[in-house]
Amino acid sequence: MDHFEKYIKENKALFDVYKADKSKLWANIESGLNNPKPKTKTVKLWSRPIFKVAATIVMALGLFSLVNILVVGEANQSTQNNLAWQELNDIDSHYKGLVAYQVRLVNKNTQLSSEEKKEFLSFMDELDIEYKLLKVELQKNVDSEQVLEAIVINYKKRIELIENLLEQINSSKNLNNDDAYTL
Amino acid sequence: MDTSILYTHKPLVEKSKLGDRNAQYELYELYVDAMYNVSMRMMHIKEDAEDVVQDSFIEAFNNLSSFRYESTFGSWLKRIVINKSINQLKKKKIPIVPIESQMYHIKETPEEVPPKIDIKNIIKGIRLLPSGYQQIINLYLVEGYDHMEISEILGITASTSKSQYHRAKKKLIEIVRTL
Repeated sequence: MDHFEKYIKENKALFDVYKADKSKLWANIESGLNNPKPKTKTVKLWSRPIFKVAATIVMALGLFSLVNILVVGEANQSTQNNLAWQELNDIDSHYKGLVAYQVRLVNKNTQLSSEEKKEFLSFMDELDIEYKLLKVELQKNVDSEQVLEAIVINYKKRIELIENLLEQINSSKNLNNDDAYTL
Repeated sequence: MDTSILYTHKPLVEKSKLGDRNAQYELYELYVDAMYNVSMRMMHIKEDAEDVVQDSFIEAFNNLSSFRYESTFGSWLKRIVINKSINQLKKKKIPIVPIESQMYHIKETPEEVPPKIDIKNIIKGIRLLPSGYQQIINLYLVEGYDHMEISEILGITASTSKSQYHRAKKKLIEIVRTL
């Protein structure tokens, strides 16, 4: 390297005589840059034997828990159903008992003609059919409070009817007695 | 080269690789003037040099993942700027190598260098050289590339680079002497 070359190389810094318009250039550069994207690395886990074993275990656990959830869920549901049915049966036998007792009273009543009894009991049969329908409905949709409520109303109606009938019989009996008394 | 030099600004470079805009701006700020001067020495026209610098930074940041510290970030970036400048000159049909490319051997006679030279006159003298001579002088003397590297940049052989450089230098001294 001669003197001339050496001289230039030593004074290289003096060759930088220009100043860049930084903000203008940056604005243009920034618009051309790719948007930063999260670096995603693809790791082939399945290519390693240990991960194959891990995957098998995970699959087995997954299947087990799925079956578990289904079985336990079903069991839970059946317990729930059982509870509801038990409750329903309790209500059912309570009202059934009441209705049966009152029907017996009607039947025993000597003041009613067999035709009157028949008419009244046929009305009771209608309510019975409605009750059966409601029970079927309940089996389909055990959670429905409305169906349960309808069953209770059905029973109440029957009892009310019988009570009204008995009341009428009794009042006519009393009236007859009064008549007898006054007479 | 000292390996530690290769990792100059490594934290900034790594952040920039991940797309950190602030880190990219810091790198830009560190190098923009140097790159602009490199391009201006080759292009001479402000707008052309600015275009080259902008494109170079965009290319550098968008392809930073391919930078693996085989050189410093600065020299990697400078190489992009130089390649882009050369491409621009080619597009403008400005000769990047001296037109007369006869390969006859020229006798190397030590040039008479004036004892006291003003750097400003040298800069001025380079500007007065034919375009092809300017590039080789800039690349060798100012940018500091060796003839092997210049041969890659200009697409010539290393020996052509060497002979052309000597002619260019001779011419430059002649010019400087007249200034």
